[in-house]
Amino acid sequence: MKKLFLPISLLLTFALSVSSELVYEFKDSTQEKRFYSLISEIRCPKCTSGSIASSDAPVSRDLKQKVYELVLEGRSDIEIKTYIADRFGDFSDYKPALEGSNYFLWFGPFVFLSLLLIIFFFKRRV
Amino acid sequence: MNQILRLSLILLPVMIIVFFGKVLLFDGEKQASNFDAKSFPVFQLNDLNGNLVQADALKGIKLLNVWASWCITCLVEHPFLTNLSENDIDIIGLNYKNKDTKAIAWLKKHGNPYELSIYDPRGDLAFELGVTGAPESFLIIDNQVVAHIQGELNQLKWDSIFLPIINAEKQRQ
Repeated sequence: MKKLFLPISLLLTFALSVSSELVYEFKDSTQEKRFYSLISEIRCPKCTSGSIASSDAPVSRDLKQKVYELVLEGRSDIEIKTYIADRFGDFSDYKPALEGSNYFLWFGPFVFLSLLLIIFFFKRRV
Repeated sequence: MNQILRLSLILLPVMIIVFFGKVLLFDGEKQASNFDAKSFPVFQLNDLNGNLVQADALKGIKLLNVWASWCITCLVEHPFLTNLSENDIDIIGLNYKNKDTKAIAWLKKHGNPYELSIYDPRGDLAFELGVTGAPESFLIIDNQVVAHIQGELNQLKWDSIFLPIINAEKQRQ
């Protein structure tokens, strides 16, 4: 029994890693690169912080499938992201557009950091 | 100068606390009030009885509830939905990634609060609606999606998110 333990556990691990692999086939490597960069820039709606590339939630699988289809259809990156955002909200984009309240998102940390630096600087001079 | 510095040292953390506090505490309400109404996606699907769902199914004030027989939280919110349907709220089901026989058996076992259930075994319509799983609920007024919540629908969410919109709509009419 003990002798069998290692081979059987190895076999089970192997089986698991095979079943979790989804295969996407592309016409060329550009499409493939675009697909993988897109799915790493679209947020998984079911996870607090993770892209659909890192998630195996059913909705992430659907999203990846949709992105895959749209890439094959020849849609542009922006078209694909807008398509997803129209359905799942602006929240879905890991790189939010530079507009409206998103300015706060993009520049807030820098403003905050410079404020702190200014305060620190003045404090030392006084 | 020193006073301004001291003041800003106090004000900055206060501002941060207020900002994050607001985001954390009012997330649920924000979802509904900031929701931009959009038209219900065009679809062609049958209901669970095999009849094509007509375009006027989503006329008037309707609650669209995404459910499945495999979904545990759907069973949790089921009594609340039953209660709503007994109080004259029209509920349309969206049967999500389910097998029709299993879905029908589930309704037989637990009761059917739905006027009809749209049968969406592949989740195509659900994808168009931005559904991330089950259960989720949408408020539809005359084919316009006006509010959307994820997870269990309960009295608290009903009172704070859906009911104010329904009341405003009824007053408008």
